[in-house]
Amino acid sequence: MGGSEQKGIWSRLENVPREILYGLLLIAFIIPMVRPIGFPIPISDESKRWYNWIENLPDGSVIMIDFGYSGGGEPELGPMAVAVYHHMFRRGGLKAIAMSTSTEGPLLWEKAMAEVNPGQYGAQYGVDYIHIGFITGTETAMAAVGKDLRATTSTDYKGVSLDQFPIMEGITDASSFDTLIVYTTGGDQSEGWVRQWYTPYQVPYLCSTLAMMVPTMLPYRNAGQIVALLAGATSGQMESLVGKPARGIKSADVITTTHILVLAYVVLGNIAYYASKASRKG
Amino acid sequence: MSLMVRRQIPILIVFVTALIIMADYFLQLPPIDAVTKKSWTSSLVTDIQNWGIVLAAFALGFGAVNLSYLHTRHISRRTKGQWPFSIWLLLIIIIFAVTGIRYGATSSTYSWLYNSSYFALSATVYSSLGFYMTSGIYRALRARNLESMLLLIVGAIAIMRNAPAIAVAAPIVINMEAWISAIPTTSAQRGIMIGAALGAIALGIRTMIGRETGFLGRLTEAEKGG
Repeated sequence: MGGSEQKGIWSRLENVPREILYGLLLIAFIIPMVRPIGFPIPISDESKRWYNWIENLPDGSVIMIDFGYSGGGEPELGPMAVAVYHHMFRRGGLKAIAMSTSTEGPLLWEKAMAEVNPGQYGAQYGVDYIHIGFITGTETAMAAVGKDLRATTSTDYKGVSLDQFPIMEGITDASSFDTLIVYTTGGDQSEGWVRQWYTPYQVPYLCSTLAMMVPTMLPYRNAGQIVALLAGATSGQMESLVGKPARGIKSADVITTTHILVLAYVVLGNIAYYASKASRKG
Repeated sequence: MSLMVRRQIPILIVFVTALIIMADYFLQLPPIDAVTKKSWTSSLVTDIQNWGIVLAAFALGFGAVNLSYLHTRHISRRTKGQWPFSIWLLLIIIIFAVTGIRYGATSSTYSWLYNSSYFALSATVYSSLGFYMTSGIYRALRARNLESMLLLIVGAIAIMRNAPAIAVAAPIVINMEAWISAIPTTSAQRGIMIGAALGAIALGIRTMIGRETGFLGRLTEAEKGG
């Protein structure tokens, strides 16, 4: 009787209903969102490398930024893009030219700029930063912009001629750029920029992707084709470095609590599995 | 249509175009322009790439037309379990298209529409994956045998490394994860990438010489060349 009860408990624990797993996860998610805990955030070497790269660019450097992510990836990549823009504007002396290989890119760029508020740094549209619009064709677009930007697009994302913007003076092709920054939810984009900009033009490449895409990009990073590779989920580190705490730091608390819960699930699941197996043998 | 028009001419176009693009990517064929220092193939490839962009843009529009056609058919045939969703889809397409054309795709009206509908839904759907993954981890990450034990150990290290507070409390997981990323993961990923690249090269050569004819649409076995 006692044995069968025990067997039943382990068996039930082995197959906990998903509603309970989801419910606990939701609690672990909501608590730090409502009341941020302020867990410590380790700053990785990769984040420092990215930060130092921007910091050490010579004045007047031109940066190409691809807003290549979709709405689904915004909660992960948006905070990273915002933190990096804060860094660029605070540092000053840099020209940030953005484009999008994702249809939603221009809208998400506007969203990011609303968060950044470039005016607080005295940065002006068309002088210090610009968005030249969504260019369709993914890798073909990267290749075309790299080869001859003006032949590919002649207006910014609102349809205003690029000739009217001082920032575009002397910008012709990939050789006009000192660094490339890519935020993307697509493998075509993250790998395509290596093929179309790093390999032929040797433009230093900073890449931020979804966390699950990082293993795919590691060979490029370890071969030196990417200067720094960061998952969007580490945006809290960039916010700490830049000194602009926002969504990334808040989500770092959530990542910690939910990951601790997932670890507890793994331990509990294995204990239940072995206990159930032992009781079956007994 | 003759075989020449349906098969030989398209293959010739693909062959010549691919050859020019590859030559421009890998070589600098003379004559070189004295001012721009670019090969004669450069402007040609710029044109080809811009045609590609125009065609891709056309494909987006064509996709919308095709989608509308398909779902109009569902509605007219009252396809069971589908037609109400088709009405909803067409309605959304019309709302977004009309707003985009009337106010502009970067207008505040269009942004509001996007942010309060598609963006919110898209982020929600993507975020909900976390719940499925958690349930999957609970059931799948069990040390049933040596292979699954290895998966469990690596998975646990990755989870601990990615939780900022755990990484601070136990810095050893940072080094462990760094080793896993730099050695086994990169090695395996490189193998996959090199294999895929060799496959892509083989496919490219087969397409250029007309052995791969999928891009030509439906051809008879005789037209495919056996």
